[in-house]
Amino acid sequence: MSVRTAVVLAAGEGTRLRPLTRNRPKPMLPAANRPILEHVLDALVDAGVRQLVLVVGYRRDRVQEYFGPSYRDVPIEYAVQDKQLGSGHALLQARDAIEGSCVVVNGDRLIEAGSVRDVVDAFETDDVPAALAVIERPSVRHYGAVVLRDRDIDQIVEKPDTDEYRLINAGIYAFDAAIFEAIDETSRADGELGLTDTIAELVDRERVRGVRTEGLWVDATYPWDLLEVAAEVLARGRVPQQETDGAVWVDPAATVHDDAVLQGPVAVGPDSEIGPGAVVGPIVAVGRNGTVGANATVQRTVLDADTRVAAGSTLVDAVLGQTVHLGPGTTVPGGPADVRVDTEVFEEQPLGAVIADRTTAAGDVSFEPGALVGPNVEIHAGAHVPGRVAGGAEVVR
Amino acid sequence: MCGIIGCVGRGDDTLSTLVAGLSQLEYRGYDSAGVALGGETLSVAKRAGELAELRAALDDEPIEGALGIGHTRWSTHGPPTDANAHPHVDCSGRVAVVHNGIIENYQAVRDELVGAGHEFVSDTDTEVLPHLIEAELDDGADPEAAFRAAIDRVEGSYAVAAVVAGAEAIFAARNDSPLVLGIADDATYLASDVPAFREHTARVVYVDDGEVVRLDADGWTVTDADGAPVEKTVDAVDWDPEETGKSGYDHYMLKEIHEQPRALRQCLRGRVDELRGQVDLGDLGDLSPTGVQFVAAGTSYHAAMYGAMLYRSAGVPAQAFLASEYATSPPPIGDALVIGVSQSGETADTLAALREASHRDARTLAVTNTVGSTAEREADHVFHIRAGPEIGVAATKTFASQLAALNLLRLATAPGGDAREVVTALRDLPGDVQALLDDSTAQAVAEAFTDASAYFFIGRGYHYPVALEGALKMKEISYKHAEGFAAGELKHGPLALVTEDTPVFAVVTGDDDLSTKTVGNVKEVEARDAPVVAVTDGQSEVGRYADHVLELPETHPTAASVLANVQLQLVSYYVARALGRSIDKPRNLAKSVTVE
Repeated sequence: MSVRTAVVLAAGEGTRLRPLTRNRPKPMLPAANRPILEHVLDALVDAGVRQLVLVVGYRRDRVQEYFGPSYRDVPIEYAVQDKQLGSGHALLQARDAIEGSCVVVNGDRLIEAGSVRDVVDAFETDDVPAALAVIERPSVRHYGAVVLRDRDIDQIVEKPDTDEYRLINAGIYAFDAAIFEAIDETSRADGELGLTDTIAELVDRERVRGVRTEGLWVDATYPWDLLEVAAEVLARGRVPQQETDGAVWVDPAATVHDDAVLQGPVAVGPDSEIGPGAVVGPIVAVGRNGTVGANATVQRTVLDADTRVAAGSTLVDAVLGQTVHLGPGTTVPGGPADVRVDTEVFEEQPLGAVIADRTTAAGDVSFEPGALVGPNVEIHAGAHVPGRVAGGAEVVR
Repeated sequence: MCGIIGCVGRGDDTLSTLVAGLSQLEYRGYDSAGVALGGETLSVAKRAGELAELRAALDDEPIEGALGIGHTRWSTHGPPTDANAHPHVDCSGRVAVVHNGIIENYQAVRDELVGAGHEFVSDTDTEVLPHLIEAELDDGADPEAAFRAAIDRVEGSYAVAAVVAGAEAIFAARNDSPLVLGIADDATYLASDVPAFREHTARVVYVDDGEVVRLDADGWTVTDADGAPVEKTVDAVDWDPEETGKSGYDHYMLKEIHEQPRALRQCLRGRVDELRGQVDLGDLGDLSPTGVQFVAAGTSYHAAMYGAMLYRSAGVPAQAFLASEYATSPPPIGDALVIGVSQSGETADTLAALREASHRDARTLAVTNTVGSTAEREADHVFHIRAGPEIGVAATKTFASQLAALNLLRLATAPGGDAREVVTALRDLPGDVQALLDDSTAQAVAEAFTDASAYFFIGRGYHYPVALEGALKMKEISYKHAEGFAAGELKHGPLALVTEDTPVFAVVTGDDDLSTKTVGNVKEVEARDAPVVAVTDGQSEVGRYADHVLELPETHPTAASVLANVQLQLVSYYVARALGRSIDKPRNLAKSVTVE
């Protein structure tokens, strides 16, 4: 692969993942016990990329602080998109950092090195101005649908409202240097510059290769999807720690009490502590510096960094943001449950609760199944938490 | 992490090119540095300490050559002595090697070479390479073949570059450590990272694992392990060398402020056990001092004051002294443990104070960020704060790590009291600092007061050193007048300075006698029409008397000081930025002060 530069689009918040995106963009949400974006960078570096340009915007400090000046010894340059005016506009911000051809990927979906290589190989072999990865999906509703003619893209439709499409744009592109000019010439729709609009114009004018790939491709559309993402990541063993036991990964800088039970798949990040009598797993990811107290039971749950689950708690099907502190005897009973997001109701979701950053619960708190709890919520002892709690609220008994 | 560099074709500028390149790699480490220049003969210069030490040595005794290699080091194991600094040479002085990475089978190779009569002078894994090359040269191999044979013998990760006397070329190879070539019309470069040569060229070639590089007057070639030429693409980079390393931040200082959660994690890693409410620092736990004297200077002195309070709270008599005063007018030491706090471990005043203490047979301990520094070598014991390299002259993350480390030290050597609560608060600290950084309004507050005629900072107890540090930071980078006071001391004189043009930053946390008293002091200030900025967790009523509030997460009193300091760092940074100051390199100041 001779294209060595990759642009990663990581500037957008990912509003459908609220309330977890209060303090960081979707690419920094956990896929098991590390950020989605870290998996994306792994795929790029494994594919042979030697220069990374991250387009950052919303809460960019969090991306910059986490990755710093390089990732796995590949230098990172940060390009800033101050206002999120579409994916084409985001790519334009990287223009000064790019000479020649480049790979472009979305920073908020798990991809595989093989898919990146496939796109670049097709781009180079067929000598086209653009190539993009295409995958088959049962539902294309939230994505760009594509129609292939032979090996080329024939049609690209952003978020179609019919079910007649089967293939979607996987968000892995290779472009030659002319892409920037092409974006310049694309007219804005509702003030935004979408990359797919530019690609649609390229499809009309020139050739755009569509590269069918079957590699790993996982996207979280809603907060509770992070549970499925974690399951997928753990099932494939994409965990940086050494496997100590069947599908159990414990960081060397974590402490697991001799009387705690880890039922794989379970990943425990650095600096974490698991107390005596705790039963953790299956399908649990504990982020860095997490704490699970004595005799707590945690199943099918994602605990992000710096989160505490105190003694005697029971968590099933829960997604916890960062620095969430749950007191002794907390109960999240697990799904299925109906989840309300604005005016929409998602029925029968396997969700116990989504609890956003820095929410604290005193002792003996229970959650309504399917609860969505905002950030910085203060839950008093003995309270029952209803299905929807706005950020900063107080929940009393 | 270390950095390597090499260049061919710079003629008389070779040495200056290498040294300038190393300064761009300082973010990869700076505890020892060296260069080797080649040609008919080799000359090597290397020094423990920052690049300035090497520069000084080269000023005294310049070396020459038409090509050369260089190295900057950040030790994680083993001390950075002159002997352990790179480049490493063979017995005959014909071969010099710089290396970034770890050679895993070095012990076996070294034993074999020692058996064959080779003499080793360092503790490093790297030193096997020049001796391996030497052995091959002795067997009649040409320099390139000798280099290849040596690389074949080692396992592990490496980006390595070598020069051989008489060969007008640099040989390099890579496995799992970064190596990039820089291609200019009349010169060729290699380095761990592009900034090392970015001022000379933007054309680069990324070397891949298993490839061998030769740079000479004719240019560059890349071959595979079998010697077959590899076709490489020349890529163009288009970034500003000043910006790389700053990770998208405008200044190293801001980057380092934002790195504090990470620095604190490293400081605490493997040392705290919340399940047992304990701290484990190995042998240091046996120190059990009956008295403590801290010696330190500048920001570290503020950390030392805080450390002394921690010990006193645990019932151990403790005092903090300015190192320069202690060295020349030492107090009676008795059987106190003397603890020197120094980020660099090279602070001349602190070293002098520690020497004075040793001279009087006191036990000494160095608390430092720099593995193998002079303070570490000279003190009886050492405790590393593990904040990672700090580039900005104004100390930020190292102060936070010093405070966390001193809590660990207190808990390990004088356990008891509120140990369990403190351990929990320390483990919460990275997340709490992150919460503060995510929501801080310090920029707006700073910009409201950029025209102030002076800045005052007040605090009580653990917040008193923080008030002093807040003022020092403001002086260092904004060049404005600033003073920190014990809150109760304000009315004994300094209150005369307070006017409507002098904002007063009051650090008040919790809701106890201390905070009630500080709130009283805030009222005195408010009555004189001075603007008040409360740095608070909101538990007391200080917010009622404040014009602005900088919020802190609620935590244990000792951890609250760390948090309050982060807000004050941000205020100083944004004041200095609004005033257009040279934030990372303020006038008249140096990162580590190695003169008394």
